[in-house]
Amino acid sequence: MNLKKTVRLQTLLSALMVSSLTIALLGVIVHIVPVQPTLGSHLLELNRAQTQSANAVTSVVTYFRGLDTLGEVTILFLSIFGIGIGIDRSDRMRTILHYDNSLLKIGARVLFPVMILFGAYIILHGHLSPGGGFQGGVVIASAFLLMFLAEGDAYDLDHRIMSLFEALSGAGFVLLGVLGVILGGVFLSNPLPLGRLGALFSGGAIGVIYLFVGLKVASEITLLIEYFIRTNDARDA
Amino acid sequence: MLETLDQTPFIHAVVTTGSFVIFAIGLVGVLSKKNLFKIFLSFSLMESALFLFFIGSHYARGKQAPIATDAFTLFDDRMVDPVPQAMILTTIVIGIAVLALALSFVVRYHRLSGHIRIDRMDELGDAS
Repeated sequence: MNLKKTVRLQTLLSALMVSSLTIALLGVIVHIVPVQPTLGSHLLELNRAQTQSANAVTSVVTYFRGLDTLGEVTILFLSIFGIGIGIDRSDRMRTILHYDNSLLKIGARVLFPVMILFGAYIILHGHLSPGGGFQGGVVIASAFLLMFLAEGDAYDLDHRIMSLFEALSGAGFVLLGVLGVILGGVFLSNPLPLGRLGALFSGGAIGVIYLFVGLKVASEITLLIEYFIRTNDARDA
Repeated sequence: MLETLDQTPFIHAVVTTGSFVIFAIGLVGVLSKKNLFKIFLSFSLMESALFLFFIGSHYARGKQAPIATDAFTLFDDRMVDPVPQAMILTTIVIGIAVLALALSFVVRYHRLSGHIRIDRMDELGDAS
């Protein structure tokens, strides 16, 4: 390796920045203070009376800060939309990552419904235990990734059904918010009965919102995986 | 000796040091790598350091996760703050969306020019 070429101005500059960051870090460690009770403890007190959801993180994500989650799902949709615009839709699309292995094919066929079921379980129990729409949606998308790896070009994804799921879940989220305006006076307020803490039908609209978020994340991450795994070989062009 | 290592400020210091080291590794990667793919993966590494710092700095010794179970049915100050966890959940999803969009731009750039090295970019006419 040529030593003269490896030490450059850029590397020196980055080393300088890192060392200054380290000095700032030492300052942080010296002046560290225990976390004082803040907004979170107030929200924890509100959580039991207002939502009856066993998972306080879920009630912050979908109820106290539900508008943020709507914006976040919109950002995810816009990102996938932007990737989809850049993809050229020719007939020479083929799966670039694919293993022709019969053991993998049989295993994927057995595991696929189990993984979908597990993702649905994580989505539906988002207000009772760790988990929720984002996590369960990604589990469902990983089931589709397994099918892409095992089946390759033979696995055909119906884009109309995926788009329908994506559109209906996004519209359902907004409609639930508008329903909150009509019944409760505030966007995304809770129009449903609260139920009892720990039951599956508890927390009012929280479970329904996370169901919509889970369907939307599952369909969008699946489309994202398909965009990246099924493409033209750039070396052919 | 071991009890002092198990206190909240020490764990905060460990989390802060570790996440800043990961952040510095990502920063060096962003500044010194020539491959666009590696640059965006370094950005993702810096993001992970921030997630670790944010979650870890709100850890408190002896407090529970903010989820009601059979042992903890009351939402009180024995539970940690749920707001940072909800915020980081949002940030992780946005990070995935931005990383996917950036990597799709890298794929498009490779199809346009045949390489992904930033020192060979000459689309603006200042070829070396």
